[in-house]
Amino acid sequence: MLRADELVFAHPGQENPYHFSLEAQPGEVTAISGASGSGKSTLLDLLAGFIMPVSGALALDGEALLSFPPEARPVSLLLQADNLFEHLSAEENAALGLPRGTSKAAGRQQVAAALAEVGLTGFEAKQAATLSGGQKQRVALARTLLRNRPVLLLDEPFSALDDETRKTTRELVGELTRRHEWHTVLVSHHADDIAELASRHYRIRDGQLERV
Amino acid sequence: MSPMLTLPHRPGRVAMAAAMTLAIALLIAAVLWAILDAATDASGGSRVDISHLLRMTALQAGLTMVLSLLVGTVLAWALNRLRFAGRDLVVGLFAAAIVTPGMVVAFGLLSIWGRNGWINQASEALFGVSFDSPAYGLSGILLAHVILDGAFAGRILLARLDAIPHSRLKMGQSLGLSAWQRFALIDWLALRGSLPGLGAIIFLLAFTSFPIVLLLGGGPANQTLEVAIFTAVRLDFDLVGAVRLALTQIGVCSLVILLASAFTPVPSALSRSAQPSWRDSAPVRVLQWAVLALGAIGFALPLLSVLYDGLGSGLLRVLGQASFWRATLTSVVIGGSSALLTLGLALILALGRSAAHRSSGRVLLGIPAFAYLAVPAVVLSLGFFLLVRNMGVPVGTAAPIVVVIANCLLSLPFAIATLGPPLDAIMRTRGKLIRSLGLSGWAQFVRIEYPLLGRDIGLMLALAFCFSLGDLGVIALFGTQDFQTLPLMMYRALGSYKSNDAAAIAAMLLIFTIVAFVGLPRLIERIAHAPRR
Repeated sequence: MLRADELVFAHPGQENPYHFSLEAQPGEVTAISGASGSGKSTLLDLLAGFIMPVSGALALDGEALLSFPPEARPVSLLLQADNLFEHLSAEENAALGLPRGTSKAAGRQQVAAALAEVGLTGFEAKQAATLSGGQKQRVALARTLLRNRPVLLLDEPFSALDDETRKTTRELVGELTRRHEWHTVLVSHHADDIAELASRHYRIRDGQLERV
Repeated sequence: MSPMLTLPHRPGRVAMAAAMTLAIALLIAAVLWAILDAATDASGGSRVDISHLLRMTALQAGLTMVLSLLVGTVLAWALNRLRFAGRDLVVGLFAAAIVTPGMVVAFGLLSIWGRNGWINQASEALFGVSFDSPAYGLSGILLAHVILDGAFAGRILLARLDAIPHSRLKMGQSLGLSAWQRFALIDWLALRGSLPGLGAIIFLLAFTSFPIVLLLGGGPANQTLEVAIFTAVRLDFDLVGAVRLALTQIGVCSLVILLASAFTPVPSALSRSAQPSWRDSAPVRVLQWAVLALGAIGFALPLLSVLYDGLGSGLLRVLGQASFWRATLTSVVIGGSSALLTLGLALILALGRSAAHRSSGRVLLGIPAFAYLAVPAVVLSLGFFLLVRNMGVPVGTAAPIVVVIANCLLSLPFAIATLGPPLDAIMRTRGKLIRSLGLSGWAQFVRIEYPLLGRDIGLMLALAFCFSLGDLGVIALFGTQDFQTLPLMMYRALGSYKSNDAAAIAAMLLIFTIVAFVGLPRLIERIAHAPRR
């Protein structure tokens, strides 16, 4: 279980600091909602390690995470945009998730399998810049599969997608979360995303997380 | 619907800018006509070896471009990664490279690497060995150019790295990219679009460089077109040769501008650094500190040596000379007049461009900005020199006006590049509001644009003032014993082997430049934001 206990943080000039506490279970999507500027992205930054809380604790299955830098945390990220390097192919983007030292042959096989799992067989050589929004998110999910980290943080990942792509990408995220037992934390202000995906829902109000 | 339709209609601004563009075009045409006319009239041969000069100029400009881009990229990389107290000062130091007078840097290099420089003196004292000075000839020219242009490139490229979206950096950091992967996948993508345009600017700056080549060239073998024009006019009285060289210079510069215009433009507005911290591994950080230390020493040491040498024994003697104060007054008056004229022209052109609804109109109104790049300082002065002579006006009488106008034209591209983007941004973000308030063009300028542009106007004035203050290319042809600026006085002191006097003048010139470059933007910003009655 991913557990945050009283993570306290304030941006420069912010009078009332955030106090975040939450629990996220494996194989489930935990949704975070709140008004614009309420601190949703700040919460994800705290979980990912881009900013450090003044106090509090963060642990995955009992192991403390706060001392780890972002690259060493058991975390994968999926943002609204900028998830891929546009000048690389789908295969090269996904391969960035492979552990260092993976042989070329093994890497190719694993990348092909991951792309197949997200429904992108045949897209290996395509430049990221030429992919649609939904395909880009799928490549990023393939990379997440290869990184094999137990926590997936999603920051409005479906916002830039059309209704149909949004639905299929959402279903894919739910399916992968269940299959790989990920602790998925989804930040979204779309009620239908939350209703479709989330097993647990928190809302940020006055700098604190409230269970809905 | 075009977003431009939300802008208030300002035909007056466009008309004024069009009139100004026409006036500048006519002036440049008159200057070019004077040069061409002299070329047609001139009979007899000339001894100038254009092919050798062209080869030499292109070689040093090409090498300067490659080395400066390399140095600039590495410096920007190190500065982008490191966070430390005084970082803004270092960034400001590199930003000042663009206004640092070439003569001062050349003089600083001589005081370190020259035959009697610090390094040779130390070598003789410690090991009893002296060596040939690398400060003269091609190596010296390259060193001085790379110090100035490398720092300039570093500042421009740093702005590109600082503008990388945070989400991209977060993604890269979360993926645990190595330092090399980070450069190849994230930084290079941000930098590579700027390199051709920036390279073309550096090539042109080096191609048209005058004082550095004049001081460090060390003889005809290392002359460039610009210096050869000066030599032909002032020393050899070979007007035919000067005109041929000027035409070659204009041809090459225009070609480079045409090629450069195909590339992505270099961003003129410099952003502030405010990125999330993503530290590289310890060995890479050691390398970054080493790069930064070398860069700062390489740029600052020649300037410090100028201050050290100049603020010594020779200073009081120079300060006691009436000619020094006359030259200072001339420099300040010419710099101030040129800066104010530049401000007026740049504002008219930039306001007209931002009000133009058609993109073709915007392009046309931007043409004056290229005047200097195609017709560099010495060529421009040669044209003015021939023009006033043809008009029967004594050169001495016309000199102050010509020097002010020529310096203004030299500063104009930088002035428009400084004021244009923020003015466009004001129109983009506040166009609807301005339209809904129904403000007149004047009220729009006084109430909205001027206060918002305060710092940019100050920066533009500082750039124009400093360019003029450090100019030698224009004054070299028009200067007399009674009409001289500080750079010309310094050049003459060097020519008369009064190196202590030259050192003192160089130090004062550097101090005036720093004070103007740092102080003017702050002063104008304060005035622009002062409460109005």
